[in-house]
Formats: sequence, structure tokens, C-alpha cells
Amino acid sequence: MIGVVIGIVLVGLAGVSTVYRMVTGPTDAERAIAGDMLMFCVIALLALFGVLLDTPSALEIVLIAALLAFLSTIALARALTRGRR
Amino acid sequence: MLEIIGAVIIVLGAMVFVTGALALLRFPDAYTHVSAVGTAGGIGLVLIVVGVLLHDFTVSNAGVAVLIVIAQLLTSAVGSMALARSAYLARSPLRRVTFNELEDDTSARLD
Repeated sequence: MIGVVIGIVLVGLAGVSTVYRMVTGPTDAERAIAGDMLMFCVIALLALFGVLLDTPSALEIVLIAALLAFLSTIALARALTRGRR
Repeated sequence: MLEIIGAVIIVLGAMVFVTGALALLRFPDAYTHVSAVGTAGGIGLVLIVVGVLLHDFTVSNAGVAVLIVIAQLLTSAVGSMALARSAYLARSPLRRVTFNELEDDTSARLD
């Protein structure tokens, strides 16, 4: 269980520095890329907290969140070009 | 025994995430950021899901974890390439450029 706690701390630190890049990104492209990275960090935190709190269906939630992360990445890439393909 | 291996794999995946975040802070350019995020989101999340599976190993959990690994390895690269293409179309600046093969192709740039 100590490995799960170490993983939660490290992924949380990665998420905080990703939020800093989202706030101070020079262009919109870097903000969109940091948003993608933040989604991955949140999915990893979902899986780790599912182990820590002994949730019976943590991996199903992670599966749905991973598919939604792909959809949100494509939506960000489409919004970055103002709707032009 | 299985939980110890799972904890080691979880810490490895978290270190991959920390590497990706450090690259987001240090790299100069949007395209290098894309490469770092694609690597971290792909292989780091796969390692963390495998470690979570080893913490409570049942047959149904193993099936769902295989689905997650396949979906993540397929969609991480596709999403990263779509983001990089959109960043180039939105004229995000290139830094430390040595050559740019897309320079002559002005048909797809946004005006």
C-alpha cells in the first residue's frame, strides 16, 4: 500500500506542474497539450484512489475515462484550428 | 508477493508521469511538448493500470485491464499526432529548427 501512496504523491506533483504550464503557456497550442496531460493525470489518480479506497469497480471507470480522454483530445485538436480541418 | 511487484510497477509509471511533467516545464516548443505528453500518457498510464491489476487479480479485472491497455496504446499516438497537426495549422512557433519539410506546403495553413 505504500507504493500506491508514493504513486499518488508523484502523479499529483505532475498534475500541479501541468496546471502551471496551462496558466502560463505562451500559445493556445501549449495550453491544449497541457490539458491533454492533465486528463491523463486525472485518470491515473482515479485508478490509484480506486486501489487505496478498495473500490470494487475501479478499472471499469478507468476504461470509460480512457475512451473519453481520446474523444476530448480530438475535440481539443479540432477546436485549436477554429473548426477548420 | 504480487502486491510488491504491483507497487514497483506503479512507482515506475508515476516516475514516467513526473518525467512528462518535467518535459512540459523545460522543453522550448509545442511539438516537443507533444512528444513528451504522448509518451507519458501512453506508457505511464499502461504501467499504472497493470500495477493496479496486480493489487487485486481477478479474471474480470484482467479482462478490463487488457481492454484498457489496448485502447490506450492505440489512441495515445493518434491523439498526439492530431494535436501536433492542429498546432502546426494554428501557427505555433518552431524553436531551434534545423529543417522544416512542411515549409513549402501553404495549402493547409490557416489564414
